[in-house]
Amino acid sequence: MLEVIREPLTEAFFVRALWAVVLGGLTCACLGAYVVLRRMAFVSTALTHSILPGVVGAMLLGISPYLGALAAALLTAAGAAWLSARKGTSEDSAIGVMLSVMFAAGIAMMQLAHSWRDFTGLLFGSVVSVGPQDIAIIAVTAFVVLASLRILHKEMELASFDEEYARLLGAKPALLRAILLGLVALGAVACVRLVGALLTTALFVIPAALGVLLGRTLPQVMGWAVACALLGGIGGLYLSYYLAWMPSGAAIVLCCALPYLAARIFTPRR
Amino acid sequence: MSLIFPPWLQRVNDAPLELLPTLPYASVEKAPCQGIAVQATDLSASARPDGHLAFEQATFEIPCGCRAALIGPNGSGKSTVLRVLAGLIKPRLGKVQVLGSPPALGRSRVAYLSQRPTFTENFPLQLRRLVQMGTYAHHGWFEECHHGNQGVDRALDLMGLTDLADRPVHTLSGGQLQRGLLARATVQGAEILLLDEPFAALDQASRDIVEKFLFDQGHAFTVIMATHDPADSRRFDRILEIKNGAITTSHSCAGHGPHHHA
Repeated sequence: MLEVIREPLTEAFFVRALWAVVLGGLTCACLGAYVVLRRMAFVSTALTHSILPGVVGAMLLGISPYLGALAAALLTAAGAAWLSARKGTSEDSAIGVMLSVMFAAGIAMMQLAHSWRDFTGLLFGSVVSVGPQDIAIIAVTAFVVLASLRILHKEMELASFDEEYARLLGAKPALLRAILLGLVALGAVACVRLVGALLTTALFVIPAALGVLLGRTLPQVMGWAVACALLGGIGGLYLSYYLAWMPSGAAIVLCCALPYLAARIFTPRR
Repeated sequence: MSLIFPPWLQRVNDAPLELLPTLPYASVEKAPCQGIAVQATDLSASARPDGHLAFEQATFEIPCGCRAALIGPNGSGKSTVLRVLAGLIKPRLGKVQVLGSPPALGRSRVAYLSQRPTFTENFPLQLRRLVQMGTYAHHGWFEECHHGNQGVDRALDLMGLTDLADRPVHTLSGGQLQRGLLARATVQGAEILLLDEPFAALDQASRDIVEKFLFDQGHAFTVIMATHDPADSRRFDRILEIKNGAITTSHSCAGHGPHHHA
């Protein structure tokens, strides 16, 4: 039994993938608590999908794919805010417009680059191919995100729970929302290697959804979300190691969903 | 079942924050309320920036320690007056001073309770944490609250909420929540309470607790309350009536209330 756990650990690529999953899972689960509680799942989907045109555009321009992805995610957030600032366009539809426009632009650019096959990892994840440099980027991102959430914990909690009281105290909820969107964009860009642009939303939403089921305070929600993301991430890696046909990104998402489903079945209805 | 962070992790969590500077949200205001709490001159305002004026050219003043009622039919602009004083709405025209300076956000000395609190639904937050949020007015950016818990306990006790302190906020009844919000305003140390129909959701037991708090605490703070229950008016020092966009002040039955000679 122990051999089953130990054998993959002798492979360098597997250990690197493990680091990526642990750091990325930690980041996404903590951010996800806010994404789920503030009902921002749709905007997080838009941000993660816009990584596609960002990375492809960066390849066409010959710059770092991380920079391109981050720029595209921030463009999506800013675009949605700008579109919904006018009367008559709800934030929901503004996000929908940006999401589809960015993704369509990405598909068009992929054709321009004439190399569909290069981008399957981008769409569906390729955690087993992360290099030391990717790990470093994920680690720095994880540190920035977690430190920001820690430092702004009380403000974020206040603004997420009672926006009006945050305004009354002068705690600037609009600024905090912009910071949170920026952090989600950062986290998404770092984690796109784990499960791919199409599924990164799952890392934000599924663990945090479990956390909301089981936690009674915000730190508890985050704690459960982290546990779920780590369990799912590590379990998914082992699953895809032993099942040759199983893609790692899909395995991670499915293994995250299992504890959520179990919790959903066994927790009493409110 | 719930996950608790072990103490050593909590210590690691807390340590670095003490190294950060504390930037207060609010400008520090120390001088106690003396004389006039609220003074409005030719004030006009509307509920929405492009909406019609709720009231025009209103002139009124409310002294410190006064219990003032805002009365008027639904939609007459009672809430708008309170939101202007809280700094949530900019007045269209005229001048208004709250504790000697124009209303603004980020003032710890003014607390505002809206008619229907707009909390995020199902947010995992216990009542004690809600009340503790009042101390943020004195903490400011980056600082986690280590102190001020005694004040939180006292406020919970004052409102009869000690037994409910660990209950999630979304499981509380309207009256319990209203008392929790008043406890938060107490912890904030507000000198002016702006209350929008605070009795609307209360049963008799809750109402007794809140009335005792508002009317029998000497003159420690100023209360400005929107209400349309005529039975309440006996207890107020001053009544501001809003009718057809005009505000008229009447001094009702000075000396009848139990607290006037305090």
